[in-house]
Amino acid sequence: MKALHGVRVVDFTQAMAAPFCTMNLADMGADVIKIEPPGEGEPTRRLGAAEKNGHSATFMALNRNKRSLTADLKRPEGVAIVRRLVETADVFVQNYRPGVADRLGLGWDQLSAINPLLVYCSISGFGGTGPYASRGGYDLIAQGMSGIISVTGEESGAPAKAGIPVSDLACGLYGAYGILAALEHRDRTGQGQLVDTSLLEAAMALTVWEATEYWTTGRTPRAVGSAHRFAAPYQAIRASDGYFTVGANNDKLYEAFCRAIDRLDLLDDSRFKTNAERVRNRAELIREIELTTVGFSRATWLERLASEGVPCGPINSYPETLSDPHTLAREMVVDLVHPGAGEVKALGIPVKLSDTPGAVDRPAPLCGEHTTEILTELGYSEAEQESFRARGVV
Amino acid sequence: MPGRFERWGIGGHYGRVRAPLGAPQVMDHIRVIDQTQVMAGPTCAMLLADLGADVIKVEPPGGETTRRIEPEIAPGVSAAFLAVNRNKRGMTLDLKQQRGVDIFMRLVGTADVLIENYRPGVAKRLGVGYDTLASSNPRLVYCSISGFGQTGPYASRGGYDLIAQGMSGIMSVTGHEGGPPVKVGVPITDLGAALFGVFGILCALRARRITGRGQFVDTSLFEAGVALSVWEATEYWYTGETPQRLGTGHRMNAPYQAFRASDGHFTVGASNERLWPRFASLLGLDRLLDDPRFADVGARVRNRPALEREIESVTATKPRSYWLERCEALGIPAGPIYSVPEALTDAHAVARGMAKEVDHPEAGRVKTLGNPVKMSATPPTMRSAAPPLGHDNTAILTELGYGDTEIRELAREGVI
Repeated sequence: MKALHGVRVVDFTQAMAAPFCTMNLADMGADVIKIEPPGEGEPTRRLGAAEKNGHSATFMALNRNKRSLTADLKRPEGVAIVRRLVETADVFVQNYRPGVADRLGLGWDQLSAINPLLVYCSISGFGGTGPYASRGGYDLIAQGMSGIISVTGEESGAPAKAGIPVSDLACGLYGAYGILAALEHRDRTGQGQLVDTSLLEAAMALTVWEATEYWTTGRTPRAVGSAHRFAAPYQAIRASDGYFTVGANNDKLYEAFCRAIDRLDLLDDSRFKTNAERVRNRAELIREIELTTVGFSRATWLERLASEGVPCGPINSYPETLSDPHTLAREMVVDLVHPGAGEVKALGIPVKLSDTPGAVDRPAPLCGEHTTEILTELGYSEAEQESFRARGVV
Repeated sequence: MPGRFERWGIGGHYGRVRAPLGAPQVMDHIRVIDQTQVMAGPTCAMLLADLGADVIKVEPPGGETTRRIEPEIAPGVSAAFLAVNRNKRGMTLDLKQQRGVDIFMRLVGTADVLIENYRPGVAKRLGVGYDTLASSNPRLVYCSISGFGQTGPYASRGGYDLIAQGMSGIMSVTGHEGGPPVKVGVPITDLGAALFGVFGILCALRARRITGRGQFVDTSLFEAGVALSVWEATEYWYTGETPQRLGTGHRMNAPYQAFRASDGHFTVGASNERLWPRFASLLGLDRLLDDPRFADVGARVRNRPALEREIESVTATKPRSYWLERCEALGIPAGPIYSVPEALTDAHAVARGMAKEVDHPEAGRVKTLGNPVKMSATPPTMRSAAPPLGHDNTAILTELGYGDTEIRELAREGVI
């Protein structure tokens, strides 16, 4: 049994944040049914930058373990099918701009009226209320408006964002957290509810140290390259053949670090006595350290630091990460066979449950792959289904 | 829809009001032992505390290391500690003394969840490993958050967000080509591991309803970093190319990045077939719509530098506000690049309750970030600031059945 066995999720989502939210639920065993327009399917299916045999890689990456049902929501019959599905569902997730789902008859008020136990999760750029509620929002916009871009990159370089879409991904996870909490409440009280989160809020919730720095010191947090705003040395350090990372963020590890690079003199240096002084004098500290570290290779330093128990590591490219023995040992790469694309790889599940583990069992569905199966489950007769198909409702 | 939120105070003044009287707390029947330090573990536990769980932070009598991180918000009070430990109760316990372990085991008997973030093996050495705790409380959900997870070749290594950002590939795609390495400015693998951890815990609690058993939940900073690399893994696997650093760009979309205006940068996402023509028209660049270099998203991604040059030749002539106003009017997602102070004081962030205040016994009113998830029936609440060291020792020990004399003796002997 998987942890979310028996939980049915209607996935009326597109792009990244919300599909990532429902994918995490699917990985843990929820029956996630993706609603797509007949024919072309959700727009991400046509995102053309990477594909295999005509199947969008981005769509496949975010929709594994799900089923696909097509329904034309511009027609009342299509909406009626989704509403019948919602009667059987525990969770409904949508990520359209506030108001769009309501116009289609799939808003929170409308769906909770037909299924009071429903947990309805809305994921948007800015949330369902507040002055920017109606604006469209993407990860990039949220990274800019949350302050994340302002603290990412070189100290005086051009703007850089987090290389991965952190607002999208965190928002998907916060959504899953809200949904599971709401299911707990429903199971105890019989009451569904609206869960409302957004890319901007998820991004802001990630600025914990930065908000703290501002509120405590009044200073505007700056980009610090690879460093930490409250600890040093904790950053990328130059070796003879490139950079490696080291995190020696307390006195004990700092001492071990100085031992590992054979610079015990730094321990007596009045500029670097405490972590607070090391943060204040970071530039000088790193200059001193690199005087030594540029003399040898990354491999040399990583070995010596590891033997002193100092957290450290290489800066991997993705080909390196995805073939690293630890990545594979932790089952973070999964092989799947997709009916159209053939053999494909997928990322594994980062949280391991001992008794009810999640699994990546099946690839992303073809558009409408499960329409017949789901319509039959919902009790539509063969004649009705035939009529839907003939008229392009599904 | 807004009406429902206002009922629970998620309207414009949410940042000021407390939870509505009588609003249920979804996790108020769940007790969590928080045996964690620094960021990932404490944040994971705090997410449960925000939902009303009784989170008891158990620290060694000297306090966990974060209490000594500067800056201080009041003498001896670490702002960093406050940031990730709100809504919790606090007790001290010396697990190197047998009586400390005895008290801990009694506490475990009353708990639903335990979260720890020691290096693998440390909890076992202290006598509080999963097997021991599960045999005394089979319903316990035990969550370990470590650098690399409990198994695999790097299991025993120490790991921090920086190390995990480097090893997961995230640093290799952050910043600008040719520049020195930079990481994501916020500790995304710490926070990602916290989120995957709380997700795993909530899944395990749900499974427990059916099975009656707790289980072991194991996640790590490294795996969180890999799991968040969805686009990057996809690019590599499907194109064979090594994902590169793109500044503010997107590997699957264009135009989708920061562009230069006359007074700084602003962000625009106008990559799909609906928004791209709108944005091109706004710029007076309709001719690009017929340009084969920019014919579809794939072509625009491949020819990003040329596209950027074309766009900035226009955007650089006017200030940010000019472009942001027009993008908003046309429904093109766009925004400013805020500093953190600007982000925290923006009208929308305030309206959504992202900057809140709680009372701390020593530091007074302190600010804390809001929970990004709004719930109509059981909203997350901000009830208290992080506890001072050992703040709830007496209350918790009394709940566990220890008498006053005994508690005084435990304090005298340094067990608490």
